[in-house]
Amino acid sequence: MDRAPSILLVGLGGAGCAMVARLAPGLPADVQVLRVDTDARLVAEGGPGAGLQVGRAQTRGMGTGGEPALGSVAAESEEAALRRAFTGAALVVLVTGLGGGTGSGAAPVVARLAAEAGATVLAFATMPFSHEGERRMRQANEGAVALGQKAHGLVFVHNDLLLQQVSTEAPLSESFAAADAWVGGALRALAAAFEPGALVPVEPAALRGILASPGSPTLFAYGVGSGPGAALQAARAAGSCPLAHAPGAVTKVAALFVSVAGGPTMTSADAFEAVGAVRLRFGGETTTLLCARIDPSFGDRVEVSVLGASLPAPKPAPKPKKGAKAVDAGQPLFGFATEETMRRGQFGGTPMTFIEGQDVDVPTYIRKAVRLPAG
Amino acid sequence: MKPQNQTLPSLIAVIDVGTHKTVGLVGQLIDGKARMLSYSERRTDGVVKGTVTDLEKLQRCVHEVVNDVERGAGRALAEVYLSMSGPAAEGERVKGIISVPAADGRVTRQDLADAVASAKRLEPPAGRATILYMRQPTILDNRPVGNPVGMTGRRLEVLFWRVTMDEPNLRLRVGMVNGMSMMLRDFILASHAAACAVATEAEKQGGVLLIDMGAGTTDWILYYKEHILCAGSIPVGGEHLTNDLSVALRVSRETAEDLKQRFASAVHRDNDLNQTIWKDGDRGLGDQQFNRGTITKVSSLRYQETLDFVRKDVLRQLDQIFPDHPTKLDQHLLPSGVILTGGSANLQDAAEAVQLVLGLPARVGVPAFEVESFRKPEYAGVVGMMTAAITDAPPPRRRPTGFLATLRDLFRF
Repeated sequence: MDRAPSILLVGLGGAGCAMVARLAPGLPADVQVLRVDTDARLVAEGGPGAGLQVGRAQTRGMGTGGEPALGSVAAESEEAALRRAFTGAALVVLVTGLGGGTGSGAAPVVARLAAEAGATVLAFATMPFSHEGERRMRQANEGAVALGQKAHGLVFVHNDLLLQQVSTEAPLSESFAAADAWVGGALRALAAAFEPGALVPVEPAALRGILASPGSPTLFAYGVGSGPGAALQAARAAGSCPLAHAPGAVTKVAALFVSVAGGPTMTSADAFEAVGAVRLRFGGETTTLLCARIDPSFGDRVEVSVLGASLPAPKPAPKPKKGAKAVDAGQPLFGFATEETMRRGQFGGTPMTFIEGQDVDVPTYIRKAVRLPAG
Repeated sequence: MKPQNQTLPSLIAVIDVGTHKTVGLVGQLIDGKARMLSYSERRTDGVVKGTVTDLEKLQRCVHEVVNDVERGAGRALAEVYLSMSGPAAEGERVKGIISVPAADGRVTRQDLADAVASAKRLEPPAGRATILYMRQPTILDNRPVGNPVGMTGRRLEVLFWRVTMDEPNLRLRVGMVNGMSMMLRDFILASHAAACAVATEAEKQGGVLLIDMGAGTTDWILYYKEHILCAGSIPVGGEHLTNDLSVALRVSRETAEDLKQRFASAVHRDNDLNQTIWKDGDRGLGDQQFNRGTITKVSSLRYQETLDFVRKDVLRQLDQIFPDHPTKLDQHLLPSGVILTGGSANLQDAAEAVQLVLGLPARVGVPAFEVESFRKPEYAGVVGMMTAAITDAPPPRRRPTGFLATLRDLFRF
């Protein structure tokens, strides 16, 4: 390869590696893959790209047993190797499942190292099912807060939400396919945007401008359309993408990155119509970065991917004046809706209430994965 | 000039602190019946999901209610009854057993007192304090009896439903009342109070389950053969219904509350999907339309799930009480079915949902009360507290007058 990889896809932990393995066959050639896990067996098992086992000394290759502290130490122990892997990457897409040990503990460390290596870090984090109990949910929430502070963009994929996407008779693998399609769409769109041959190329630095900064909520939506009016159809599908509809998710953003990809028949009018529909739905008044791409393999299909962030970096709180009331140590670190408040609405911030291992403050329809009628 | 308290008929003051509202009632006891003197209702502050989160705010709110009712009654309150509900209060069955010492096996008053004392000697779990003992059947040689004194048997068992509260919570509540220069007379279990207001003696005698779904918690109590058999609480209430709607429809809490009251239902029907409803109805600027099916789907899921939690909790407690034979929630145990009280009993088709989930007939319990605005299921608790307070604490006996009364008094044991 004559140039350094611009996009590095990192699968972290069991869930992350599994997703990366499913995604790998459909990825553009210039996306490099790195699988990071504490479990020696999973790393050695092979799969796409390079494998990196972390925490040999701490876990002896046995996994973390759901202990985030161990996951964090494991990642730190391989700091040098991770830094080496991130060198030269313009964009690191981190895929992980929160709630367990490796994902919740190591993800913030990996994101920090990648950011320090100069890469823009976009993380996709799977949140556990409500049925997985108090401990995993708490660990996931803590991991999400820590990861949100280190990664430039953080998109949550709720497992509960995945179940709502498929009919009740569908096999479980199908619901995970929905998540794969979302993340895969994002990767293809980003890979194409950075390619010198794209119709409207985008610089990685510009993308970082869209993502604002660590700690601001990230919007991501993905939609597909086909046949006549495919572009508009895809834009509308993105508008109703469950990721953007997750309770409490960002609905309007100031800066947007919109990628429209289609077959040779897609006209510029189609593409701009789609972008218009996306902007109508999501905003993007300040900046809208466009990326259009023609791919003969698409046929009459059109894919629309949307990425954005609403808020500029939260300014560090001014130092309290002498004699001013000290800030309560229990206050959240930053003021936007955390993952927790998104799902729990007005109960966000209150202690979770568990019955039969489920946080009953989360709406029943989300926990039971009931798809609501449209409208 | 302020009249002296002791020259007046005794006052009974009850305060029901809920997650949503705090209600105070003051009644005057005349001939064994309470006549309402004043009442006050205010929005509760500082309580989330039945748990106190901001004591100062709550105290201010209770203080305002007390001031209101005192002004209405024209007298300062010396003591109050406080309601107790939610997960802070937990109940369990305690037992006192003695073998009857008399040679002929006749039970004396002292034997009964001994059995009661042995039941009450059982220490509550660490960190919890006993609040209430509620009488359950007395059992003489495995036979439930009303009053065992004078009957013969070998083994006397007295049973109580004991309610305990964790000590920090208890201190907090006692401190709150004492901080207003009043005495806390006693606690009243909110679900029991609601039952006092809406369940007839015949229903309690036959067997009835009362489900009091308030804003923050859902309390239930089961009566069997006139006594309390068990009680419990689920930390889910009407606020959860509102929150679910607010998350699902992406509207504010206030809008969700309004939509809940107007359009939500405990049962989802396919026909709801064909109805489009408007938030304000004027179709003007800012009006929003929603599919009624979405609303009823979200509300029915939550409501029926909560009923299911109640069902499992009741069965769990029954299993502890009767470990040998599995009990079922059916017409045999509960011939009088289910009574619904609390704000969420107003939800459309609530009784039908009970039939669906518990398989028992249900009705909404509306308290009979002299003030019309209190004749709603959400006031069953506070109205019943009045009744419970009277039955629980009979008025000080007046000096009997007349010859017959004196005679009766002489022979009273």
